[in-house]
Amino acid sequence: MESYPIDSLPTSGDIHMACFTAVKNAPDLKEKLQNQDKSLTFAMVESNLIMDVFQLLVAATKAAHDNKTGKLATQTVSSEIIYNLSPSKNIAESLKRFGIKEDTTSLIAVKIGGNPDEIMEEMSRTVSGNLVSFSKLDQERDMTKLRQYYKIDPKVTEDKEILNWIIGAIAMKNVQ
Amino acid sequence: MIYNAQLIKQGAEAKVYLAPFCQRQAIIKERFTKAYRHPTLDKKLTSRRVVQEARCLSRCQRARIDTPTVYMVDTENYLIYMEYIEGCSVREYLVTPEGQTEAAQTKVAQDIGRALGLMHNIDVVHGDLTTSNLLMRNETGGSVVLIDFGLSYVSQLIEDKAVDLYVLERAFSSTHPNTEVMFEQILKAYGESGKASKQILKKLEDVRMRGRKRSMLG
Ligand SMILES: Nc1ncnc2c1ncn2[C@@H]1O[C@H](COP(=O)(O)OP(=O)(O)OP(=O)(O)O)[C@@H](O)[C@H]1O
Ligand SMILES: [Mg+2]
Repeated sequence: MESYPIDSLPTSGDIHMACFTAVKNAPDLKEKLQNQDKSLTFAMVESNLIMDVFQLLVAATKAAHDNKTGKLATQTVSSEIIYNLSPSKNIAESLKRFGIKEDTTSLIAVKIGGNPDEIMEEMSRTVSGNLVSFSKLDQERDMTKLRQYYKIDPKVTEDKEILNWIIGAIAMKNVQ
Repeated sequence: MIYNAQLIKQGAEAKVYLAPFCQRQAIIKERFTKAYRHPTLDKKLTSRRVVQEARCLSRCQRARIDTPTVYMVDTENYLIYMEYIEGCSVREYLVTPEGQTEAAQTKVAQDIGRALGLMHNIDVVHGDLTTSNLLMRNETGGSVVLIDFGLSYVSQLIEDKAVDLYVLERAFSSTHPNTEVMFEQILKAYGESGKASKQILKKLEDVRMRGRKRSMLG
């Protein structure tokens, strides 16, 4: 698990994230989400739509800000993180695309605030899969979907520029 | 309140900070409200300006014009978080020994002209083209980045685009003596990359004439 401070909002605690592969219980997790199970206290993001950790940090930071001002578009900070990753304002569609599915095998658990040891324990207990380093993220990427969802111009081919487009799309969602 | 921030510019309309954001160094531009305006109206105007600036930046990015990536927009506090461009301004560069060479000036002029041509193609009028608002990216060996869209707007009018160029021309002649050749090169590159550039350049001549008349009267 990795933890990062939110520089723009230090009082909200850190952003904690853990990357899991070979996940075996996606259907269970999905069911818990659907039942709004209160024991699930972290967000679960489909790994294949993540280009870079920065993308997750920006989405989570925005969720922390909107939570503070009472301006969440969705019900919880967790769902807000997932919603924020999407460039679309359609909540259902965003959660479906960027959240986990029945057949998800690779996911990233994200939580804002709290004690890192406890969070790590909770994430590992809940997700049955292999905890891996974020350097493994590259292998999970689905570039076709990423390009489609973020409407990336075919002429844009460098990873760095693709990431810039993704971040721009996330940032501009509330001001379009 | 912006934490761990280093104020790098305090202007009349905005403060610009360098601060950490999501593990990177970022620029935070804070627009402030004006005490003499009606509070609610002022808040509205200020946040609209912030949104407009972010939109113009984003519009340029999506047209592949090198501009800082917008990271986050906070309309409550009138903040734009954006990519920090490491480098120097064209203004600073032109007074360095390297920046005084013909080859270097030609290269920069071509970059500027092309970027402005593309920007006008998508109907973004910058509104404040000066050599301080043109940065040079260290990372790419000094390619030009357009910044400060604080006065920008979307317009299809040839007149608006011609005035945009005129503002830059004035900025060049007042801050950088003996750069007439360089400015001609900017216009040449502009002419080659812009869609309606012929008409805009023609209009620029009218705008200059008016400018001269005005200064004679002034
Ligand atoms: N993205 C950036 N990367 C690096 N430096 C920047 C960036 N944005 C601004 N700066 C620096 O801060 C200075 C001021 O920023 P900017 O030009 O946007 O504000 P301003 O001139 O005060 O704004 P306005 O004209 O909207 O009142 C720039 O001249 C530049 O030196
Ligand atoms: Mg400026």
